[in-house]
Amino acid sequence: MTDARRSQSDRLSEAEAIERAKQGDASAFEALYNLHKRRVYSLCLRMTANTAAAEDLTQEAFLQLFRKIGTFRGESAFSTWLHRMAVNVVLMQLRKKGLNVVPLEETMEGEEESPKKEPGGDDVRLAGSVDRLQLQHAIAELPPGYRMIFLLHDVQGYEHNEIADMIGCSIGNSKSQLHKARMKLRELLKTSRAEKATKP
Amino acid sequence: MTCKELERVLPELEGVRSFELEQHLKTCSACSELVSDLNAISGQAKLLETTAEEPSPRVWASIESALRQEGLIHEAQPQLVLVPPDASCWRFTWLMPALATLLVVCGLVLHQRGRMEPQSAPQTLAKGSLPADQATAMVPEEEELLELVAARAPALRATYESDLRAVDAYIRDAELSARTNPNDEIAQQHLMNAYEQKAMVYELAMNRSQP
Repeated sequence: MTDARRSQSDRLSEAEAIERAKQGDASAFEALYNLHKRRVYSLCLRMTANTAAAEDLTQEAFLQLFRKIGTFRGESAFSTWLHRMAVNVVLMQLRKKGLNVVPLEETMEGEEESPKKEPGGDDVRLAGSVDRLQLQHAIAELPPGYRMIFLLHDVQGYEHNEIADMIGCSIGNSKSQLHKARMKLRELLKTSRAEKATKP
Repeated sequence: MTCKELERVLPELEGVRSFELEQHLKTCSACSELVSDLNAISGQAKLLETTAEEPSPRVWASIESALRQEGLIHEAQPQLVLVPPDASCWRFTWLMPALATLLVVCGLVLHQRGRMEPQSAPQTLAKGSLPADQATAMVPEEEELLELVAARAPALRATYESDLRAVDAYIRDAELSARTNPNDEIAQQHLMNAYEQKAMVYELAMNRSQP
């Protein structure tokens, strides 16, 4: 990309870029891509744990978005719209690979996890401190449904109403899934810490 | 509040703490530890986003290429005006496909040379990073072509100059990308597209310069 084009794409506001992209302006498409590529790629990478797959999914999500950009009317935030596509692309890919992406409504009525039930809960404590690398490994071990909600809410900062819109579930369901994801992470982190403690 | 009640309301809390909850946490170490751990997980998760990586340039190149192929990106094309055929304008018509072919062949030769000499990439890259004024300077052949266009249609000189500069910039970008990634087929395809676009601009300008 030339400096002139890069500079032009940086100067565009999102709203301007959307309008110009609707007219087929290449620099507007590029500006929108540059604005959102990190968050979309980050989500795809953490969901797949594979850079090549994450890049393919990022590409597919943006292509779907750009193909439909003419229909964007601004009822929801552009980033929510884009993330909805990214989420769908990722979940579709996981299903194609045969990974068990449990429908969110079905996982809602599972057994409730008690604060007192974690393995090693009495012996190993997080004591309110979490190591970043261990957390990244634990996130990768979460079931895809939990992982997606956790990434969208706790990592990327989306609100439950936005997540409900992206995933197509209720706000209550999003909250419940997030809580279960955090509980599962706590359990994984405790197990990891316990294993580390027992190593010579 | 009991431990069971806390467990039930915890997903709804989102940082809001009621008086009853606070009182319970003061007296129950297990629940206090749980809430502290969940807050720590959530807090550490927020820091992960700041270290997010970004996709390689290949991703945008593929998206752009697909958008162009699907016609979603509209190129600024020189305005075409139909002119009644004139017998004299066919004198140099045979030159146009020859010129277009020559440009594509030149592109192919340069491209193959670049692939066969990957070790010379740093040197070539240095050439590619010319100062802005040199990088945008037009070669004498392009100046001559523009003069020919201006002689027939003065108003179109600026349009063709702009198109030539744009396509030259595209070629520079594509060459840089192809040399940096000699095994990337998409980068090579971009380079070919760039040469073809230049051939097309030359052809249109030649058409325009005919009497």
